[in-house]
Amino acid sequence: MTPEPPLGGAPREPLDIKAETRRAVDALHNQAHKKDSMTSDLSIDEELNLHSIGWEPVELVCGVSLFSVPMGVWNWGQGEISWASAAYAHAFEGAIARIHRECAKAGGHGVVGVEVERSIHRHHIDVTLLGTAVRPVGAKRVDAAQVFVSDLSARDFTLLQVSGWQPLGLAVGASFVYAPRRSIGVAMQQKSQNVELTNFTEAMYSARESAMERMQSSALSMAGTGVVEVKVTEGPMDFARHAVGFAAWGTVVRLAGDSHRTLQPSMVVPLDDPRAAFEATALRGK
Amino acid sequence: MADPAADLPEAANRRFASGAFTSGLTVPDFAACLQMGLEPVGYVQGFCVMQWGWYGINSPYRRGLSPYGGGQGGYMESWQCPHGFVSAEHRSWGQNYQQSWVEDAWGEGFGNAYSRMLEEAVALGAHGVVGVVDTSDRLGDLGVLEFHVRGTAVKVDGAAGPPGGQPWTTYLAGQRLAKLIEAGYVPVSVAAAVSSVRVWAYCMTEYLLEGTNSSWGVAQAGAEITQVASAQMAARQIARERVRSQMAGDSLHGAEMVVSDRELGQGDQEIQCLLRGNRVKRFKDFDPMPVPHPTVRLS
Repeated sequence: MTPEPPLGGAPREPLDIKAETRRAVDALHNQAHKKDSMTSDLSIDEELNLHSIGWEPVELVCGVSLFSVPMGVWNWGQGEISWASAAYAHAFEGAIARIHRECAKAGGHGVVGVEVERSIHRHHIDVTLLGTAVRPVGAKRVDAAQVFVSDLSARDFTLLQVSGWQPLGLAVGASFVYAPRRSIGVAMQQKSQNVELTNFTEAMYSARESAMERMQSSALSMAGTGVVEVKVTEGPMDFARHAVGFAAWGTVVRLAGDSHRTLQPSMVVPLDDPRAAFEATALRGK
Repeated sequence: MADPAADLPEAANRRFASGAFTSGLTVPDFAACLQMGLEPVGYVQGFCVMQWGWYGINSPYRRGLSPYGGGQGGYMESWQCPHGFVSAEHRSWGQNYQQSWVEDAWGEGFGNAYSRMLEEAVALGAHGVVGVVDTSDRLGDLGVLEFHVRGTAVKVDGAAGPPGGQPWTTYLAGQRLAKLIEAGYVPVSVAAAVSSVRVWAYCMTEYLLEGTNSSWGVAQAGAEITQVASAQMAARQIARERVRSQMAGDSLHGAEMVVSDRELGQGDQEIQCLLRGNRVKRFKDFDPMPVPHPTVRLS
């Protein structure tokens, strides 16, 4: 295999940080500095990681959507609570569309480190996405449809890129299902027993399969080959204990080149183990 | 510039003159600062307590009668009832608007506490303040908000005084500050702003939030609650604009956004967005680090 050209800058000599700090502080007196305005919620480590692969942060961007759930849909019933599942999908679609627009407007090619906040209420489902738009250094603007959104941290985004993969977007799937009522006879019979409540187990399985299938369909629709860092939440609704929900989301990825680039990590033994450094009993030979 | 020490409490002046330094740095941050040539000279603080009575019974900012009466400049959007009938219970109009007086009051409280902290740093002859921490807490149910800004004042070995006599400030300290400088940025100041957007729901928003989006008793499919979504987006946008206005062409780094909302009454909601971060400026050309070498920890 032909070795890939190296990314980022050349190896450096160790920096004299004291002299560099002096130089930086002295530069504050220089009014004619380069205008390089950007906003970012990335840590300095994350920004250095991005820089090393030739990307840069551009702007802090967000997307919010609230979608209503009509009255009565959480009442007892059978099968999937399709209006709630649809509301969840629409809320995500709305939030993703808005963060795409903000990213494209800011000149970003994608959004990394997206924090996904969801809240499910009886009558509405809220989704908020917040992250930092990024682009290859000096790259031209792209259309909102070409922007990717990823909940991977900038560090993981760097690792993904170095391994020859690229993120395509957020894939989401959710399903809400009624746990069927037990008959009075079954309920009485099970009242004092330690038994599996198969109605809840089956409802959970049903919700899980639908949600995972939707997430995978979403990934395929983006021409992805997989979803990484999948998060799942599941359980009964606080306001309707007879209804269970399952939601899954993650970042869709695909190979950017012909094949995966294998990384060969070095093994390190850190010497900063606080227990070894500060365990007082060790001093007494115990 | 007025003598900053003149505005400080007498006890503070006495403490600064004692000869011993104080610091809010952790031991690793302290060690990293010494490595960078930053000498801690004192733990500096500023306070400001603000009356917070914008929603009282006599406030002019309660829900009015006109759909066009809420605007005080800035963001405002109105919504009209699509049903075409009027009654005392029916919310025939709704409005989102920016509460600039809340934002300005927050800015004044934070700004006072911040400048008082800087006064202490100037009195110590510091070049900058690192590891800044800011908090704003409600004092009980008194409608009072306390702002507290503090950090560790530092001197830089052999450097000239700060430009304009104003020390630079940053939320960062220690290793993270060293990496920021290595990446080619110098801290200028901390930057923070709050935005406040009031939402007076109109009938459709109220119906959708309460799940009563029905037409003659027949449930309708769900719909996006655009008025609230719009207010949420606006609150975040305004906070970003307010912070950007403090940047003067510099960058905001390590930003943190905190959004809260609260019900002030039925169909009456306030959304607040706090955005804070480090204003930094590039002092050398973009010079990327080499790609990090992956490692596996054996512990």
